[in-house]
Amino acid sequence: MGLLSLLIFLPLIATTIILLLPSSLRDSYKYIALGFTIAQFTLAGYMYSQFDAAASGVDTVSGYQFVEHLSWIRMDLGTLGKLEIDYFLGVDGFSLPLLALSAFVMLMAIGASWNITKSLKGYFSLLMILNVAVMGIFCALDFFLFYVFYEVMLLPLYFLIGIWGGARREYAAIKFFIYTLFGSVFMLLVIVGLYFSVTNPLTGAHTFNMLHMMNPANYVENSFFGYINNYNEVFGISARMIGFIVLFFAFAIKVPIVPLHTWLPDAHVEAPTPVSIILAGILLKVGGYGIIRICLSIFPDAAVEANWWLGLIGIISIIYGALNALAQKDLKRLIAYSSVSHMGFVLLGIASLTAEGISGAMFQMISHGFLSAALFFLVGVIYDRVHDRYIYNFRGLTSLMPKYTGYVAIAFFASLGLPGFSAFIGEAFVIIGTFNSESVGTGIPRWMAIAGSLGILLSAAYFLWTLQRMFFGETRLKGGEEWASALVDLNKREQLILFPTLALALLLGVIPSLIFDNLNSSVLNLVALVKQYI
Amino acid sequence: MKELLTISPISMSILVVLLPFVAFVIQAILGKKSISGIISLVAILTSTLISGGFVFSAVWNSPPASATYHWFTIGDKTFTIGILLNNLTVLMQFIVCIIALPVHIYSRSYMKGDSGIHRYWMYLSLFCFAMLGLSVSKNLFMLYIFWELVGFASYLLIGFWFTREAAVQANKKAFLVNRIGDLGFLIGIAILFSSFGTLDLVDLFGKDGIFLQGIDKNTGWMTAAGIAFFLGAMAKSAQFPLHVWLPDAMEGPTSVSSLIHAATMVAAGVFLLASVFPLFNETVLLIIAIIGTITAISSAFFALGQYDIKKILAFSTISQLGYMMVGVGIGAWDAAMFHLATHAFFKCLLFLSAGAVIHEMAHLKAHGNQAFDAQDLRNMGGLRHYMPKTFILMAVASLALAGFPLTSGYLSKDAIVITAWEWALHHGGLYLVVPILLVVVSILTAFYISRLIFKAFFGEFRVKDLDPTRLHEAPSSMLIPMLFLGICALFFVFSWNPLSYADAGILKGLAVVYPFPEVHAIHIVVPILLVCGSLIACWVGWRWYAKGRYPLNADNRWVQASLNQGYINQFYQKTFIESTLKLTQLSYWFDLHIVDGLVNLSAKVVRSLSAISSWIDRHIVDGLVNTVAGTIYYIGHLLRWIQNGRLQNYLGFAFTVVLIGIIYLIIR
Amino acid sequence: MITLTHFLVVSVCIFCIGLYAVLAKRNAIMILVGIELMINSAVLNLVAFGRYDKVNYGGQVFALFAIVLAAASVAVGLAIILSVYRKYKTIDPNNITDLRD
Repeated sequence: MGLLSLLIFLPLIATTIILLLPSSLRDSYKYIALGFTIAQFTLAGYMYSQFDAAASGVDTVSGYQFVEHLSWIRMDLGTLGKLEIDYFLGVDGFSLPLLALSAFVMLMAIGASWNITKSLKGYFSLLMILNVAVMGIFCALDFFLFYVFYEVMLLPLYFLIGIWGGARREYAAIKFFIYTLFGSVFMLLVIVGLYFSVTNPLTGAHTFNMLHMMNPANYVENSFFGYINNYNEVFGISARMIGFIVLFFAFAIKVPIVPLHTWLPDAHVEAPTPVSIILAGILLKVGGYGIIRICLSIFPDAAVEANWWLGLIGIISIIYGALNALAQKDLKRLIAYSSVSHMGFVLLGIASLTAEGISGAMFQMISHGFLSAALFFLVGVIYDRVHDRYIYNFRGLTSLMPKYTGYVAIAFFASLGLPGFSAFIGEAFVIIGTFNSESVGTGIPRWMAIAGSLGILLSAAYFLWTLQRMFFGETRLKGGEEWASALVDLNKREQLILFPTLALALLLGVIPSLIFDNLNSSVLNLVALVKQYI
Repeated sequence: MKELLTISPISMSILVVLLPFVAFVIQAILGKKSISGIISLVAILTSTLISGGFVFSAVWNSPPASATYHWFTIGDKTFTIGILLNNLTVLMQFIVCIIALPVHIYSRSYMKGDSGIHRYWMYLSLFCFAMLGLSVSKNLFMLYIFWELVGFASYLLIGFWFTREAAVQANKKAFLVNRIGDLGFLIGIAILFSSFGTLDLVDLFGKDGIFLQGIDKNTGWMTAAGIAFFLGAMAKSAQFPLHVWLPDAMEGPTSVSSLIHAATMVAAGVFLLASVFPLFNETVLLIIAIIGTITAISSAFFALGQYDIKKILAFSTISQLGYMMVGVGIGAWDAAMFHLATHAFFKCLLFLSAGAVIHEMAHLKAHGNQAFDAQDLRNMGGLRHYMPKTFILMAVASLALAGFPLTSGYLSKDAIVITAWEWALHHGGLYLVVPILLVVVSILTAFYISRLIFKAFFGEFRVKDLDPTRLHEAPSSMLIPMLFLGICALFFVFSWNPLSYADAGILKGLAVVYPFPEVHAIHIVVPILLVCGSLIACWVGWRWYAKGRYPLNADNRWVQASLNQGYINQFYQKTFIESTLKLTQLSYWFDLHIVDGLVNLSAKVVRSLSAISSWIDRHIVDGLVNTVAGTIYYIGHLLRWIQNGRLQNYLGFAFTVVLIGIIYLIIR
Repeated sequence: MITLTHFLVVSVCIFCIGLYAVLAKRNAIMILVGIELMINSAVLNLVAFGRYDKVNYGGQVFALFAIVLAAASVAVGLAIILSVYRKYKTIDPNNITDLRD
């Protein structure tokens, strides 16, 4: 059993233990979950340190590390050939940072779950299953396996939102579930189409292996998604383009892009704090990761044609999300919309198809993972205390909660792209990469970069405005004295969670090479892969 | 590592930058345990000494030195951080140090007893770190980072008294307006990076750099880059129409205003333009000159009508920054830097003096339990009797600001105005508007600053029922830094010749070659013109304010326009802020009702579709089955009446059937 | 000359009258009378066709047999009517509909 399998399935052991233990020991569940997550995080950290930065990843097995390749399902389908599904894991520069991020965010989420009291057994075992699924997504190199993890991820989330959520939790959970399923169902069609178009060069059998899908030579001639002489059309759009579009929309729902984003504010607002943290910290990254790993790598030719639209969607998300965030009166909803805006940068960076842009997008994803998780945690802190998060119900919190305000201010400024924090590097390089796109010839016009930078301005506006409205000025609370006594400053546990998160954001902002060193060769390889079709 | 240990200007300048940072970290860790500010003071003192002794003296008028360190690689492009030491950067670094030091000393008394003083020292050190780092950055990307950090420190310090609504409004405004400029800066960086693949100042603008090798600067993108950088400088240096944040920024402590919002940070825009000067082509330079002129004249006008002592000084800062911008715009960025240097001293002094006055007024206010604005000129008057030393120092600084001979301001202002005349005469035509307006601004400057002095220090104390003898001189820990700055406001610090700027060391050190000829007559006429104009303005000010022969109606439209800063804030509020907020409301409505509405609508459509199909299932599909059964039942029902139990009927039927049978048999 | 046809016509007439009485009369006695009439029409036929059996006189014999049978059935029928009357207090067949569903 390889390290990756261990990494993925460690939480499953935790689930088993939690399920087996009697309810009288329910206080121990969180410690079990914590222990396993720490182990997982340590393992991820170890792998991160052992990673060979020179490995180029993306489309060759040799570029991946910690590879595990086992036959999983082999079935003779008669005239249809042999079904070949593998248990195929591996990481490259794109997946490893996200893997480490996920392990970290999971740790945060467990820490944030400390005060949950409602049916602990179900809660922690679902959380651990979710953990398995997200880890699996980032490691899977077999499309079928990827899809399995992708769908498994939805289930625990549905229950976590639907059972432990806020007032409109059922609505939010169903909306989230159906929205995501809507994307992934069509993805399944493309997966099957790809399966029948691609053969394994070694065995000649059709395969779900993603790496084989990235190589044009493996495509069967005259197959639906074939490269050469492919005149297949659906609704007048060429088959490969439609495959790209369908996959893109499946992942774009996760990112999310405007106008497919409306599940996000609802899900975030209704979800309990730890689930919000996971949603913002990991789930959105699945979308961005999917676009890079699958849309761009398997359909580079279509990506080159479509990137203008991707860029446009990116900017619309940036500006639209920011404008909506500015209009919010609910703090959590504001942060949810700011996520839409920040993830727009990811899409813009990817669309630029330049090394700077894609690196910037990856960096932005990681930075957003830390920062949005911290922001949701911070909202959770205040919600825990007074069960309210309406911005106008608070004023002058600084005098009551100086430490909390300090952390909020740091998180806000980090999110709005203050240099020295990670978001700045991400956003700056997305802008620079987008600008560079015209010089390289990938066809993203420069006005998109300028329009995108408006988002930076707007993000400063909504964060600073919130800071001014909630934290500065004379103390005035809706709940009066009762609230004032309830609003105690951060305790040790909360600081223990927040401090490392923001410290990491700072560290990454000062030493971005921590990410870029492992990322560069993969990005260059991807850019080279795409560049052939420009 | 080895080069860090040897005493090279590079490692020393790094030390200069890092010391305040260390102070910041220590202060942040200690928090309320350390409120004396001694850590910050020691750090900036050491920085100043090192900067003066090892960096400035070693590099000034010597060949530039630079060091580059690898920072990170992205794709195949490497980004570096580095230290660039040439005359421009060491001058800037030294100015920052030498201004920051007296401000630190001054603050120890000025801020004494404030409950948040530990934060004050923390923020101040952070600012010093960022500003010093900005001054010696070798890389535009690094410069940008420090550029934003000074903005951040300024945000923190403006909102230092965060319970005041005006203060938190002001710091938000400052940061957002600066953000606009930062975006310009970022776009400029992006243009340069995508055009040349490097952001190194030496590679780009150095002696052997890309720009001096002669490339075509007149392309659209180079103009755009120039304008983008200028946009950055406009916001930071409060140029019209982005100047609105600076007057509001006066909500911060006065010591902060003196350091950040008068002497150093706001001048960073000028410094940036000087650093990237080779980038600008004729078009951009002209735009810079025009914006600079507009800024100078408009804010000089706004300064005329203000009553808040700090706001007058803020507008005068903006106006002087306009001068510097004109200096850059006409190509005389050395003169701009010279004015930056002299302005830093006298404007810092003006603020510190104003701070001393406000300090005393606030004390008086606390004593008398009377509600009045301690910063309002209308409440002062006759202060020279109670604070003579402050008065003298402030008068010196005012003379420097107004540009009277023997002061440093005279030299640097002349340098800009005279060069502007030469530039305009060279180009001719409408270009002459610029120097003419500069002369007007100079006269207005003399007028508003004399108004300030006469209103505050002459006449009678204006708040009734208060004993002005309680007012007394500021403590010596405040006066000594002011005295130091007062000395620096005099001519000999910058040039031994009090009447001509030609011998000024800074101009010689920066040595910019102007693309237009020198006109000798201008060098005589313009100074005389300026001095005479200023004298007349002062005399008018004396008559109006000291003698109380004020001829104007306060409700005069012009006076009101000046007092309300030309209604620009109201205009912005109406057009930009309110429309943006409307737009956000609209977009949220759109999101809630159209985008999400569509989602919910599709859910509704699916649900009604399922309702319809359920109806079909119940009524049509199942209905058919029921209809068949029902029909058969009905038929059976119809035949029921035969079975009516009447024997005769039965018999009749039987007979009929037999009959039918017989008939059938017959006709068969 | 009175031919067979005349007998048959008279017989049919009697039968029809009997049938009418059976189907339409509201009195069980009258129905019984109708039955008698129908039997008699059959007896008349038997006698008329008895002309063709001059050896055994089967027609006449069968007619006698039928008359005896009719007398017996009238007795049984009257007894039934009596017991019906005792039970239902009526002998109108329309009122006795126990055979209904």
